[in-house]
Amino acid sequence: MESVQQQREEEEEQAALRKQRMDKLKALQTAGFSTYALIDGELTFSFSQSYSTLMIRNKTHNALELQTTYDYLSPGEQVTQVQISFAGRIKSKRTFGKLMFLTVEDDSGSIQLYVEQQTLKDSFRYIKSLVDIGDIVGVQGCIKRTDKGELSIVVEDWQMLAKSLLSLPDKFHGLMDVEKRYRLRHLDMIVHPSVRQILKQRAQIVSTIREFLERKQFMEVETPALHCIAGGADASPFVTYHEALDLQLTLRIATELFLKRCIVGGFEKVYEIGRVFRNEGISTRHNPEFTSLELYEAYKDYQDMMNLTEELIKTVANQVCGTTEIVYMEERIQLGAPFRRVTMNELVKETLGLDILSFPDIETAKSAVEKKMEESMKDWDSIDSLGKLLSSCFEHYCEKLLIQPTFVLDYPIEISPLAKQHRKDPRLTERFELYIAGRELANAFSELNDPIEQRERFMKQLHGSEQVGKELDEDFLLALEQGMPPTGGMGMGIDRLVMLLTNSSSIRQVIAFPLLKPE
Amino acid sequence: MQSFSSHPGNNDKDVAVTSSALNGLDVTEQEPEVEAENKPLSKNAQKRLEKAQRKAEKSQKRESEAKIAPNDKRNQDDEEVDPTQYLKLRTKLIEEAREHGVDPYPHKFHTTCSIPNYIEKYRSLQAGEHLTDILESLAGRIISKRSASSKLYFYDLRADGAKVQIMADARHADSLDNFTSTHNLLRRGDIVGVKGYAGKSKKGELSIFPTEVQLLSPCLRMLPKFALKDPETRFRQRYLDLIMNAEITRDTFTKRAKIIQFVRQFLNENGFLEVETPMMNTIAGGATAKPFVTFHNELDMKMFMRVAPELYLKMLVVGGLDRVYEIGKNFRNEGIDMTHNPEFTSCEFYAAYWDYQDLMNFTERMLSNLVKELTGDYVIEYHPEGKDLSESIKIDFTPPFRRLSMLDALEEHLSEKLPRPLDSAETHNRLVEICSERNVICPEPKTTARMLDKLFGEFIEPQCIHPTFVCDHPEIMSPLAKYHRKIPGLTERFELFVNGKELVNAYTELNNPTVQRQRFLESAKDKAGGDEEAMVHDEDFCVALEYGLPPTAGWGMGLDRLTMFLTDNNNIKEVLLFPAMKPRTES
Repeated sequence: MESVQQQREEEEEQAALRKQRMDKLKALQTAGFSTYALIDGELTFSFSQSYSTLMIRNKTHNALELQTTYDYLSPGEQVTQVQISFAGRIKSKRTFGKLMFLTVEDDSGSIQLYVEQQTLKDSFRYIKSLVDIGDIVGVQGCIKRTDKGELSIVVEDWQMLAKSLLSLPDKFHGLMDVEKRYRLRHLDMIVHPSVRQILKQRAQIVSTIREFLERKQFMEVETPALHCIAGGADASPFVTYHEALDLQLTLRIATELFLKRCIVGGFEKVYEIGRVFRNEGISTRHNPEFTSLELYEAYKDYQDMMNLTEELIKTVANQVCGTTEIVYMEERIQLGAPFRRVTMNELVKETLGLDILSFPDIETAKSAVEKKMEESMKDWDSIDSLGKLLSSCFEHYCEKLLIQPTFVLDYPIEISPLAKQHRKDPRLTERFELYIAGRELANAFSELNDPIEQRERFMKQLHGSEQVGKELDEDFLLALEQGMPPTGGMGMGIDRLVMLLTNSSSIRQVIAFPLLKPE
Repeated sequence: MQSFSSHPGNNDKDVAVTSSALNGLDVTEQEPEVEAENKPLSKNAQKRLEKAQRKAEKSQKRESEAKIAPNDKRNQDDEEVDPTQYLKLRTKLIEEAREHGVDPYPHKFHTTCSIPNYIEKYRSLQAGEHLTDILESLAGRIISKRSASSKLYFYDLRADGAKVQIMADARHADSLDNFTSTHNLLRRGDIVGVKGYAGKSKKGELSIFPTEVQLLSPCLRMLPKFALKDPETRFRQRYLDLIMNAEITRDTFTKRAKIIQFVRQFLNENGFLEVETPMMNTIAGGATAKPFVTFHNELDMKMFMRVAPELYLKMLVVGGLDRVYEIGKNFRNEGIDMTHNPEFTSCEFYAAYWDYQDLMNFTERMLSNLVKELTGDYVIEYHPEGKDLSESIKIDFTPPFRRLSMLDALEEHLSEKLPRPLDSAETHNRLVEICSERNVICPEPKTTARMLDKLFGEFIEPQCIHPTFVCDHPEIMSPLAKYHRKIPGLTERFELFVNGKELVNAYTELNNPTVQRQRFLESAKDKAGGDEEAMVHDEDFCVALEYGLPPTAGWGMGLDRLTMFLTDNNNIKEVLLFPAMKPRTES
């Protein structure tokens, strides 16, 4: 009850503040100031005029440029011959009679505004009384370093560019609870520059991946997000409906099957960075829509994919973090050394001391595991093959131990319907997953390209499944029948890579607007 | 090793048909080491070899006319059966090979170079020159097969948009049995790997002379015998289109990738940050269109696919990211036609402290540079009615682009001044009259905005062939654009038209929350009046505006449409790898 009371009080306070600010906005308008204006206010352009000049913006500098350019100024020194135009959001305000200091922040950093009555004359009283923290202002003036050593713009003219009608959360209270931060992400970003920083790093990561792949002559393609049949992964799809076609569609759960069609069509190196959708719960590692990278290269196998993946991750880490030795959640992670490559069976053997694949049958193996671990795993009864037992043991006991980059090789065939059978052991596939910090980051195979075997694998997978949108993908099988070259393919979760490289514990930190439960 | 032919009797026919070629080879067969060691051939042997090659090349010519290898009875028979039969025969043949220890789907084939690189590397060889020092490995798809005899086969191998000839001579093979079984098995359409030496035929055709040919993935389905033109098949089975119409289709998608890469790079270089905003929302906002609806099971919640990323991107600008862009998919629950696909790719960007004039200059720079880089010229040739029809126009992207005011242009065309203010009943009535006078049919509901749009579309848009900025739309047509700083009732907005089609839509963003709320309310009235495409009120967005959106300009461009212009296509399906298709009707 108390919290309801508290909430009501907060709301009333906000409403009062909002009214106060609306009044200030009106006062500015009455005083003849333009509000929500552009810096130049004037339209200099006419339809008859030919336009050949390049754009010259009225905001001449950003904060970082000013800080760098005028780094040399010593306290008290002023540059009068250069006129600066600057704009940004007010983050702090200190008034001393006829002098006022404002800290203004833009995308690149912040700078102090030196506002004095002596220079501004009449308009000083307006800026003093009608400008609040959170407002976006444009200013003109020259640059100086104050006696106290702070680089400042001496304001000669100013304009209200956008009045903030709501007050920014108080620095002292911090910004609300975590949940609310995600709901009001724009506010979160204003108050916490680190949020913006992560989004910038994210952009850099994605763009480095693109450059890396372009350099290797991969071609970026776009395949459909609306599918008739949900394929390429084992996940529950979103279902939608196309009215004009009177057709039920699903949102893609993977880009795999269409990218392989491109390989059939003769593009030998293709990739797609795009959104995929899974109708699953929300957690620190799951958002219903996320970004995946999938790439395919003809005439390569999973060994080649391992080399490529390793090189890719090292390149991105170097570019974005400036080092291959990173820290994630207190763990020091070495991305520089060769990644460990070990088979799943070997890993389980290391951890449990049991060589699962060498048991003569599943029952003996299961009792050996039970005896060893003195507990049973989830869905224990449904484990009816050595392969399933192996992967369950791996998930249950090994995954979380894989802190340093590890390629886990040779997954059982039962759980890998799109991977090619291992050339040495028919119970396994040529597949790996890359684990870093206990989490799966990438998944890759020598792609199954035999249409007859693929059909059988699909049938087995579908057997007993009643999920919507799951049916035999005849179109894809038809494409395989046209002949797909031996191909290596790799998929990577971009969000998880960004989490790793920005040391973020939750996927919500690396997504601009994560999906939240309704309030 | 045995032969795996499904037509065991066919070898006899081969011999009969190709006896003269065999005669030519019989002699060289007696001295197989001659060419292998690259000693100069005896004149006689050389003549015979030349004869065999000429014959093969002649047959290649015939084959390209008839699309059937006349000398290869077996292939001919194969391709004469109906497609279902072909699939059966082929599957059986492959199964037989498997039983005999051949892996028809080997795991890996190591290539030493791509076919384009191979051509580059060996283009300067002389006709008749054969190298024997560097063993090369190539892989690709067989697009034609010819045989001069059971011991000499010619293939065209294609990969990466280029092709090279395989001249498989039994004398170079490690074992004759192996040679025979392999080449009996191979068909047009198969993916193969070839190890061998570079050389040129007497006629100067660059070839690879293999020591080994390996089947990497069989083509179980018969490739179309003739050119693949049927649009249904081309779009539904794009891979087949890519195989059969390699030059054109491949080129379109390579260009598409380049266009998007250029736009991305141009924005990056100008300080824009690429971001990703949600494609699924709890409400549908940001553009006037009908959304796809879906359902989140665990949250038990209805959701909408985005029709545009606009509102989220502006919220990022509120958050302090001054220049952001997103290239991504949007979804509209609309019918499929020449210019509409339910999902399409757009680029939207937002720049704080810019206005729509800056955007016009920026657009000019971006597009003119793109066209120049892609085509080498500012002027492109375009076939509005399709490539197959002769009628073509020139579109000139030389900056500056023409600029005209929307209302001025319309009023000039109508030779009358429309009553002001534009949202009055008087204007509405006058527009109804104009529409009926001029036989312009505006579908219900006849709002002023929709009638203006219709009239403009009817009379002015078709005149905008070269890139033209149409500016200053009425407020009632532009709920998210900022009111014009000089002319009441108008907004600071432009659309760029090319060949009469809208390519870019941009404006100085409305950043005044009070006015934004009003506009949403007006839009809601239209919605209540039956306009399904009217915008939905988005309170979250209004709250974001109350924290202050700097003066910002925003811009959106359809990348599919841009690709259509720059690849000379008039159907959106031509520029989408896998366009949405109506479900196949059971026949």
